[in-house]
Formats: sequence, structure tokens, C-alpha cells
Amino acid sequence: MTEDANLSGDATQHLDEMTCLLYIERQLDRTRAQEISAHTQDCVACRTLLRALERESRLLTRAMLEEEEALPARLAQFQERAHKSMQWIWTLAFGLAATGVYALYTEYIEPWQTQLDLAGFGGSNLLSLLIFQGAFWKGWNSMVTLLEVLALLTVAGFAMVFFRKRLRRGSALALMLAGFCAALVLQPASAFASETRKGESVAVDRNETVKTDIFLMGDHIRVDGNVDGDVFAFGHDVIVNGHVRGDVFAFAQQLQVNGQVDGNVRAGTNTLTIRGTVAKNVLTFDETVNLESNAKIAGSLTVFVDSLNLDGAVGRDILSMGKHIGINGKVDGAIQVRGEALTIGSSAEIHGPIQYKGDKPPDVSPNAKLVSPVDFQKLEHKPHYMEGHYYVWQVIWLGAFVLFGLVLFQLMPQFSREAVANAERYGASFGLGVLVFFGIPIAAIIACVTVVGLFVGISTFFIWYASLYYAQLVVGALVGQWLMGRTNETWPLIGRMVVGIVIVRLATVIPAAGGWVKFAVIVWGLGATSLALYNRFQPSIASTPSAPYAPPLPPNTTVGGMQPA
Amino acid sequence: MSAPGKTEPTQAIARARTGDADAWGELYREYAPAIFRFCRRALPTREDAEDATMDIFAKLMRDNRLLQYDQSRSFTAWLYKVAANHCWDLLRRRKTRQDKETEDFENVPLEHPDPNQLDKLIEQRTSEEVRRALGKLGSRARMALVMRYYSDMSYDEIADALGVRRAFVGVVLLRARHELRNALGQGGALAAGGAS
Repeated sequence: MTEDANLSGDATQHLDEMTCLLYIERQLDRTRAQEISAHTQDCVACRTLLRALERESRLLTRAMLEEEEALPARLAQFQERAHKSMQWIWTLAFGLAATGVYALYTEYIEPWQTQLDLAGFGGSNLLSLLIFQGAFWKGWNSMVTLLEVLALLTVAGFAMVFFRKRLRRGSALALMLAGFCAALVLQPASAFASETRKGESVAVDRNETVKTDIFLMGDHIRVDGNVDGDVFAFGHDVIVNGHVRGDVFAFAQQLQVNGQVDGNVRAGTNTLTIRGTVAKNVLTFDETVNLESNAKIAGSLTVFVDSLNLDGAVGRDILSMGKHIGINGKVDGAIQVRGEALTIGSSAEIHGPIQYKGDKPPDVSPNAKLVSPVDFQKLEHKPHYMEGHYYVWQVIWLGAFVLFGLVLFQLMPQFSREAVANAERYGASFGLGVLVFFGIPIAAIIACVTVVGLFVGISTFFIWYASLYYAQLVVGALVGQWLMGRTNETWPLIGRMVVGIVIVRLATVIPAAGGWVKFAVIVWGLGATSLALYNRFQPSIASTPSAPYAPPLPPNTTVGGMQPA
Repeated sequence: MSAPGKTEPTQAIARARTGDADAWGELYREYAPAIFRFCRRALPTREDAEDATMDIFAKLMRDNRLLQYDQSRSFTAWLYKVAANHCWDLLRRRKTRQDKETEDFENVPLEHPDPNQLDKLIEQRTSEEVRRALGKLGSRARMALVMRYYSDMSYDEIADALGVRRAFVGVVLLRARHELRNALGQGGALAAGGAS
């Protein structure tokens, strides 16, 4: 074609226009350009043509670049409209999410909070119970109001947004979070002193007085003396005969409280026996709890138990969930029981209302002194999928899933794509998913029982719990891709996620098999998410995150040409 | 738009990639006038240009197509490429192409035009006349000229956008110039050429 047109050094053989154009556009190779340059030294006509073509190019550029029209008002408004439309979506999402949180709070958290208040966790709220009222966090005791918690969370949220805009690198963000956690860990650590004793048999002797908190670890633990602080006991048998002015925390096969505890008792044991006095409240998870006749709890009793035998006295309310509840003592407050059987003996003296939800009607002795009859509600165990509102709730949950997915896929489009892609690594996803599914809660629990890790443990647990839902969305998106084809774009991926999650949710409500399907989906998605997270922290992979999405290069990627000589 | 040598708003681009609406607003304010002008030159009517500008940014935002942008390259060039593809798709869908098919490229005259007449034509014509003449060109010719002389796209990019072989880009541009000269009223003699 024209680029190959013969040229002659003879000035009478003029250059064709195509060659001149390619020359001024620097599209000719070096040799050809030098030939043309030499020719135009001698040929006035060709030199004039080159100049004319250059002037034509400049005229074209000038004519096109001249801004004779202002940006139309419609386009100026478009930006605002686009912004507003985004705001509308976010407002809707936020509103629905807030409604969901409110429903969750009033449905589940608030009743529990009321009960836990009765159980004596500072008379405050669940957040303060979880974060600030824990025995390991004495440095935070002054921060107990919900208002302060909300203020703290708001500031933290603003800080996250602020740093998110500035610290693009995940490592920087991770460093900041690690620093925040470290600050949380270090601050309360300096706020109290403690003593630790370990051994096969450890004891606080009868004549001994411990002025601080004390950690006791061993097979056999005895507290015969006085402890001015709290007692933390981890062992096989724990016996408290002495006087503890703080709280007692115990994880043991057997716990006996024979002495006096001025604070609360919080325990996880096989058998708890109380013969002494607890000045505040008792919260316990056990197989068997015995409150003997001389036992006295001035506060409330919250108990999750297989069998409760109450012969002693309780100054406030009782909340009990268990199989067999037997009450033969004195209760000054109300009783709420959920279980298989409730027996109220002839010596029982109950000054508050009694609510009982159970399988069998209560067995109440005619000699028992009650202010009102037992309010009994029989539990019915019909299959839940026979109930109409079950399906209504399934639809609501489905809507919530879609909304949750919409928000998360919009917030983390790249990560979501990576997670969905990793879900196709079936073996790795399932393997890692099983590990994460069981490993993270165990790690969170371990973190919670160590001195430094309550906040970290609880946060980890919440993240793990949210991941269970995200995992289902990831698998849903993959199922959607199987049906509708792969995509790398966000909205099409969300569309596939919606289709897929409908199918996944339908599969999980199949009687009998549905539970296993759900478990498999969660493990699978959790593994895929973990793989994506793992890959994010691999420097070699993280350095080319946009590689798969680079636009296709034109077939001829080299731009030929050179400067005119 | 970003003038040559002016630093591109890399921070805003990075934030917009994460879906930050404020960053999108920033990019829109920065680039919408240039993209509108590009569309105005490439498309037949002002309304078309407005629609196209909105569509281009709406698609970019809605699908977060910034994820496809290779940050090691010029954002301005990439954005023009997106705009060029959008406009050309639009024109093709409307079947308003007036250009002949590829084989016609072979018929481009290779004669030496009269440089003095060309010089005179360029001398006499104003920018506004050129813009009016551009509006009379076929879609392909106009697109080619806009891509090359407005947004400074390379021959490779033009070939990619128009779906022609790179070797024909020069021909397309030359044909477009001839059409333009004809539209300016003096093209006949120039296009036919004549050795001086």
C-alpha cells in the first residue's frame, strides 16, 4: 500500500499525499522517514505539501478543542442526580439494615438484657457486660453507659472511614487495627494487679489474706482464707470455704461454695453446690446445681442446667433453662423457667409470679406457698415447616440475604469476585472451610478466657458469625454463575448472586437434608472467603490485583514511527 | 479535561475504584466537559452528545468499569478510548455509517495535491467552518478525525475502536481529510490533486 510507495531522490517525482501524511504523523520507519526528509530538502512542492498537511492537522485540532459550547445544564445536573441516586440506595440499605437491627434487638437482645440485668451484670446493658463489665477489664469500669459506648463506636467508625480513604494498603489498615487492639490490651493490663498460683493442689490457707485478685490453677483448689479481690479458679475441684470480697469465676468439674462471697459467682462446671452465702448474683452453666437448705443468694440466679435442686433462698429472680427444675426453698422474686419438668415442693415459698414453658405440666405441692398459680405454657414440637409463618420468615430471610449481599458486594466488589473465584477450588475451599468453621470459635473462646483477649475474642466471634452469612452469598454467586455464565463485573455478579442465593436457600429448607446442605454451603463459602483473604496477604499475588481485568490490548501493540529527521 | 502534562487525579481514581461517590463526582467534574466535547464532535447532534456523555459516566459508575483500567497507563487516554468505543457502537447501531467498506480504501488517490491550494484553503477557513464541515462527514471519517486530532489516540487505538486493520488507519484519515476539504467547498480540486 502507500507506505511501500517508491520514493525517489529526484525532486521531480513528488511524494504522494498518503506518504506525506504518514510522515508528519510519525508512522513511517526510520529509513523511510530519512528518505522523505532528504527529498523535501530539495523539493519545494513536497515541502509545501508537508507544511500544508501539518497546518491542516493543527487547524483540525484547534477547531475541535475550541470550547464554543458550555457544558449543558443537564450534564451538570446529572452528577448531582447520580450522587443522589447512590444516596437513595444507601439510605434504603441503611434504613432496612437499621430496621433489621432494631427488630433483632427488641426480639432477642432486649429480653436477654433484662434477664442479665437481673443476673447482676452491673445493672447496665449487654454491651457493657460484654466489653466493659468483664472482670478482666477493670480499667474500663468508668465507661458503662450506652451513650459512651455509642460515642466510642461512632468515633471509631469515623476513624475507619477517614483512614480507609487515606490508607489504601491493607497492611497499613491491618497495622492500625493491630495497634488499636494492642492499645486495648495494654491499657487495662496496667489497671489492676493480680497473683497467680499453679500446682496440683493450690490453696489460700485459713489464716491467709490475699489483698489482690488471685488466679488459681490446679487439680484441687481450696480457698479457706480471705481474698479481698476476685478469685479465678481453673481446676478439677474447687472449694471456697473462706471469705471472698470480690467475685468468683470458676471453670471446674466441681465447685462448692461453702463460705461467703460478697460479689457474684459466675461458673461453668459439672456440679455446682452452694451451701454458703453469695451476696450478689449467680450465673452458671452446669449439669447439676444444688442450692442446699442453708444456701443463700441475695441477688438473682441465672442457670443453664440439666438439673436444678433449690432448697436454699434466692433474694431476687430466677431464670432457668434446663430439663428438671426442683424448687423447695424460698424465692423472693419472679421465676421464669423453660424446660421439661418443674417440681415445686411443699417447703417452697415463692413471692413472685412463676412462668413455666415446658413439656409436662408443673408438679406443684398443695403445701407450697405461692403468690399466684404457675403460668404454664406447653411447648409444642410440631415440625416447623408445617407452620405458615415459617415460610413468611423464609421470605424475609431471603430478602435480608439479598440486601446483605448487595451491600457487601458493592462495598467489596473485588474481594467478592476473588471469593467467588476461589469457591471453584473445591478441595481447598472445603478443607480450609472446615478448619475455619471449627477453629475460629475455639480460638475466640480461648482468647476470651485469657487475660488480654476478651475484646479480641468477642470481635473475632462476631466476624466469624457474619462470615457464615457471607459464605452463603459467595456460594450463591457461584451457583448463579453456573446458570448464567461467568462475569467480572459487579452488578452482573450481584444478579447472579441473587439467583444463586434463592436456589441455595431453597435447598437449605428441604426437610432433613436441608441442614446438611446448609452446613456444606457454609463450610464451602467460608473456605472460599478465607482463601481470598489469604491470597490478599500474599505479596506476590496482591501486587497484581487488577491483572485479570486489564483491557484487551489491540492486536498491534507497537506504535511505529519515529521523529522526522 | 486534564491538560497535557497536568497530573491526573490518581487519588480520586483510586477512591472511585472502591465506589466512593465523592470521588466519582470529582472525576465527573474534571472529565465530563472534555468527554462531552469529544462526543459533540463525534456524534451528529448535541442531544446525542449529552446522552452519550451521561451514558458513558453512568456505565462507568454502575458497573465500576474503573476496575478494568490499568493504572500504569494514562487515565485520560483510557477514558477517551471508552468514549470512542461508546460513540462508535452508537453510530453502528444506528446504521448511519456512510463510509464504504474496506476495499474502498484502496481507491484513495495517491496523486500529489496542489499544496498551494491546500494552503490557501486552510488559510481561509475558520475553526467554526471546520466544525460545521465536520458535521457533514460520514460517521467513520468523523470518528477517525476526532480520535486522532481531538483525543490524540494512536493508530493502534483507532484501528481497535473502528475495527479496521492498523495499516488502513492512515487511509481512513486521509479519506476523512478529503471529505472534509470537499465539505469546505474546495475539496474537489485538492482531492483530485495535480502535480505542481
